[in-house]
Amino acid sequence: MLTYLLRRELLMIPTLLGITVLVFSVMAMSPGGISAQTLIGGMDMKPQEKQALLDYYNKRYGLDQPAPVQYLRWLNNVSPIGFVTDAQGQRGEFSFSKGMDLGTSFQYGRPVADILAERIPITLLLNLVTLPFTYIIAIMVGMKAATQRGSAFDVGAGVSMLALWSIPTMLAGVLLLGFFANIQHFQWFPTAGISSREAQDMPFLPHWDAGGFVRGFLLDRIWHLILPVICLSYGGFAALAKLTRTSILENLHADYARTARAKGLAENDVLWKHVFRNSLLPLITVSAGLLPSLLAGSLIVENIFSINGMGQLAVEAVKGRDRELVLSITWISGFLTLIGYLIADFCYTLADPRVSYD
Amino acid sequence: MTKPVISRESFSARIWRKTLAGVGVKFGFAWVALLVFCAVFAPFLANSMPLLMSRDGVISAPVLEYLSVEDAWILTSFFIALAVYRLKVGGGKQILLFLLGSALAAVLVNSFVKPPVLVIYDDFRSTAYTQVDWKIMPPIPYAPVDYLRDLGSKGLEAPFTTEGHTHWMGTEENGADVLSRMIHACRISLSIGLIASGIALAIGIVVGGLMGYFSGIVDMLGMRLVEIFEDIPTLFLLLTFVAFFGRSLYMMMVIIGVTGWSGYARYVRQEFLKLRNQDYVQAAVASGLPLTSILFRHMLSNGVAPLLVAVSFGVAGAILSEATLSFLGLGVVDAPSWGAMLDQAVKSSTFNWWMAVFPGGSIFMTVFAYNLIGEAFRDAIDPRLSDKAGVKS
Repeated sequence: MLTYLLRRELLMIPTLLGITVLVFSVMAMSPGGISAQTLIGGMDMKPQEKQALLDYYNKRYGLDQPAPVQYLRWLNNVSPIGFVTDAQGQRGEFSFSKGMDLGTSFQYGRPVADILAERIPITLLLNLVTLPFTYIIAIMVGMKAATQRGSAFDVGAGVSMLALWSIPTMLAGVLLLGFFANIQHFQWFPTAGISSREAQDMPFLPHWDAGGFVRGFLLDRIWHLILPVICLSYGGFAALAKLTRTSILENLHADYARTARAKGLAENDVLWKHVFRNSLLPLITVSAGLLPSLLAGSLIVENIFSINGMGQLAVEAVKGRDRELVLSITWISGFLTLIGYLIADFCYTLADPRVSYD
Repeated sequence: MTKPVISRESFSARIWRKTLAGVGVKFGFAWVALLVFCAVFAPFLANSMPLLMSRDGVISAPVLEYLSVEDAWILTSFFIALAVYRLKVGGGKQILLFLLGSALAAVLVNSFVKPPVLVIYDDFRSTAYTQVDWKIMPPIPYAPVDYLRDLGSKGLEAPFTTEGHTHWMGTEENGADVLSRMIHACRISLSIGLIASGIALAIGIVVGGLMGYFSGIVDMLGMRLVEIFEDIPTLFLLLTFVAFFGRSLYMMMVIIGVTGWSGYARYVRQEFLKLRNQDYVQAAVASGLPLTSILFRHMLSNGVAPLLVAVSFGVAGAILSEATLSFLGLGVVDAPSWGAMLDQAVKSSTFNWWMAVFPGGSIFMTVFAYNLIGEAFRDAIDPRLSDKAGVKS
């Protein structure tokens, strides 16, 4: 198992390198390219200041050098082992502990690592809240459809799940926002952000005090998350419910299930302890593929609901042609996806003892 | 015991029959047909100029005069497609004939159609076009880029707000008629869906085919390439490509195609890994056939049926990609697009429901239609699955 995991991690390295090469070459080949014009605040700077900043970036990132050199320089800065570079871009000696430097955002003029540290937790929170919902609803619906195969519920669920799956996230987002968060219709939910300003000073749990009911930080957060989470989850559970249904149907008539029934086990026990456990494998395989789609989905959802997560940052970064940010974001989302696949493989062995990786 | 039924029906005919048996798939094909109709005849369905008019006894057709090169090309290509479909030749030849015909049409149209460079839509509401003996207007008398400045449009009006000029689906932020823009946007959606997934399919088949056929080191390198494209969420990749390569329609098609091939490659690879050890492939190798012939003539034709499923889902995905990019403001500039219209639904904290319901609804219907078709294909091709789903074959 350990050797397997190790091998998997080693195979991740060429993939991660490939991702950066791909994105870097896209940016290098683009007409216009990365130039000083895309630097921060170009408009309200004096010419000398602009020139100084340009010189700084040229030195720091070698923007005036050919693309392969730029790439190697970037790679050296990012990788945890490599040559030490100082603020002038001069190369020092080789080091194993120089740490990673994701560079400075051209657009915001702040270190990329700082920006990402603010944004990633928000996107992760959004996705980690979504996942259990997706699975719970999918399993409930899929189970009911499979056990009542051919019934009205089964047929209805089949069509409506395909329909749900076809609803574009942006349409769902815009409709939910328009009808349930807008003053014109039902103003039940907040329109933007993941917490309101007052909530920062509130205690964590909801409670009553002199002024009446206080929402508390937790409830406020949940209140803000409801609409985005609905948008993120419906597509996933529609696909998963269909999968659960086929997978359970396959096992429902297997010999072991009949044996269990013949032994006199209650139908519920047969279903949940025997059939369900054996139907888990395909659900786990898909969970790995769910992560990239969730990341991409949060890109749209964050834009609609004005949540300052990584997705919104990605759109701003590519619109601003902010090379350092774009590279870091694609790199990290690729990394997260790979980790997702790894965890899925690991869960495989947990769900099915027959699977081993030695 | 049931008697074996001997059938002379070919494999493809059986797939078609089974596919078309469902109700959902009929709806899917009907919707796509409607889109094709709207895309081809858009200038005659929604335009500001009369289709036909008589002024002082002279009969003229202003629509034809203002027909753009693109419009003319699409129209001729459509009729070439119809004509080729009626011909009694093989499928491959039909496609070749159609491509040749539409290429020829493109050359001819480019050299002969000379529409006026500047179209002033306000003119069509002036006396030259209103004081006539009789005229026939298109069903929606507004062009997609007719911003109704002379009518004092304020932009973003709900359906049937203003007296005097009827907008079935309201107007958008610049004052153009939404329904008219939606009809013209069919073109973008359809062409992106078909061409982008065509490009993706071509790349996927070549890469996946080589991977599956050679396996070993080629497979390992190919898998890394597939993984790279798979691990970056497609939308991120797409955003990067689009932001750095400009926003022309053709560029978008290429970009959506180039970023979307990994799924097909995986699929073809799997099929080919299964097929490469079959006797007929070995026989083809032994008789010294060239590689392209083995790969594409012999192996591909045996693995292509399941690919249909992936393609119909892929077309839905490509349409969705374009809509998403346009929604995020990275789509084609100034061309009518469903995604870009949906973006105007929530502007400056007012909710314009008609901008959400109509364009969003048509994105949904199109994606749903392609998904229904894909689902029906899958059930028809894999009888095991369809039996399980309780569908009678």
